[in-house]
Amino acid sequence: MTLWTFVLAVETVVEAGAEAAESSGGLFNFDATLPIMAAQFLLLVAILNAIFFKPLTKAIDDRSDYVRGNIAEAKERLGKAQSLAQQYEQELSATRRQVKDRLLLAQVDANKIRNQRIAEAMAESQAQVVTAKAEIAQQKQVASDSLNTQTAALSRQILEKLLGDLVHS
Amino acid sequence: MVNQLLLCSQSCFQTLGQTLNFETPLAALEVGKHFYWHLGGLEVHGQVLIVSWIVIGVLVAASAIATQNVQRIPAGFQNFMEYALEYIQGIAKDQIGEKEYRNWVPLVGSLFLFVFVSNWLGALVPWKLIKLPEGELAAPTSDINTTVALALIVSVAYFTAGLSRRGLGYFSKYVQASPALLPLWVLEDFTKPLSLSFRLFGNILADELVVGVLVLLVPLIVPLPVMILGLFTSAIQALIFSTLAAAYIGEAMEGHGEEEHEDH
Repeated sequence: MTLWTFVLAVETVVEAGAEAAESSGGLFNFDATLPIMAAQFLLLVAILNAIFFKPLTKAIDDRSDYVRGNIAEAKERLGKAQSLAQQYEQELSATRRQVKDRLLLAQVDANKIRNQRIAEAMAESQAQVVTAKAEIAQQKQVASDSLNTQTAALSRQILEKLLGDLVHS
Repeated sequence: MVNQLLLCSQSCFQTLGQTLNFETPLAALEVGKHFYWHLGGLEVHGQVLIVSWIVIGVLVAASAIATQNVQRIPAGFQNFMEYALEYIQGIAKDQIGEKEYRNWVPLVGSLFLFVFVSNWLGALVPWKLIKLPEGELAAPTSDINTTVALALIVSVAYFTAGLSRRGLGYFSKYVQASPALLPLWVLEDFTKPLSLSFRLFGNILADELVVGVLVLLVPLIVPLPVMILGLFTSAIQALIFSTLAAAYIGEAMEGHGEEEHEDH
């Protein structure tokens, strides 16, 4: 059993006998296989061109066109969106400025009104103070008048008490 | 098994150098034997044609399956074939140039696919199991007729490319550098197909022979690395053949003309 594993048998290029006479055989045996092979290879090229290369090349080209178109469209949209965002931002800042202006205006108005009110209130209170002072003065006058009369009466009484009848005389 | 042993032993008396008269029990190497068909007065190698038809059938079937329902978003087999197509387009584009390569993709691609599928079917399919009256089924590329046919087609292609692109001015490259180099240029037109065909033929046949001899010596496991190496070689040979074909075509179209140098 071990022997056959080492056996190398190569059938030689040219078979002896009738076979060699009939067909020469051999590695470099050129015959009609060559033109037939060439013809069927050209046929294969034609067939593959029709059912493999053309449709798949077209598919790949179409796809890359599609992808390129999509990318261009997306870029365009992105640009549009960016310009829109910019526009909105501008509008927003304009509105903000407007609001600030109005706020400022309103503050100014409010200040004016407050000052006015304060001034009015102060004027009113001053007037009240003045009238109150006048009243006080008047009442003081009245009081001092009555005091004067009472003083006179009292002093008369005191005189009468001190001097008695001398007064009447 | 015993039957097979007997059959083999009967047919294998012709041994290496006719000096080793051992019988081989498991397998036999058949070199240079052909399964002849007679068409009219012509002889053809039947085993080569059979396998080449299978190869062509595989390619056509694969293409048909891949393109029967072309989708924008490729799936499954279409994806695979598109990958193959882009690989082939890459070969053609690298060698011929962005501008002109599209016209030559079918030829270069068919060369690549045919050689590649031939080599791999030859290496992967256990053809030995199919008995022929004479010779054995193998990769079509291990027959010199196939490789010479392909190489001649490449020659015709690059002449066509050069002539269609540059007209008769194509032949000016033969004497452009120096008229003394004319014989070398002419010689090159012969060595190109010769080297193309013999490189492919030699590599594939040698690979099959090495695997065959190893299988004869040690039928198990040991031939596997060589078989894997053979697969690698087969793929490389397909790449080399198509790349060189594209390179020849590109070179013929580019020429060595002055107008091209201005472009660079």
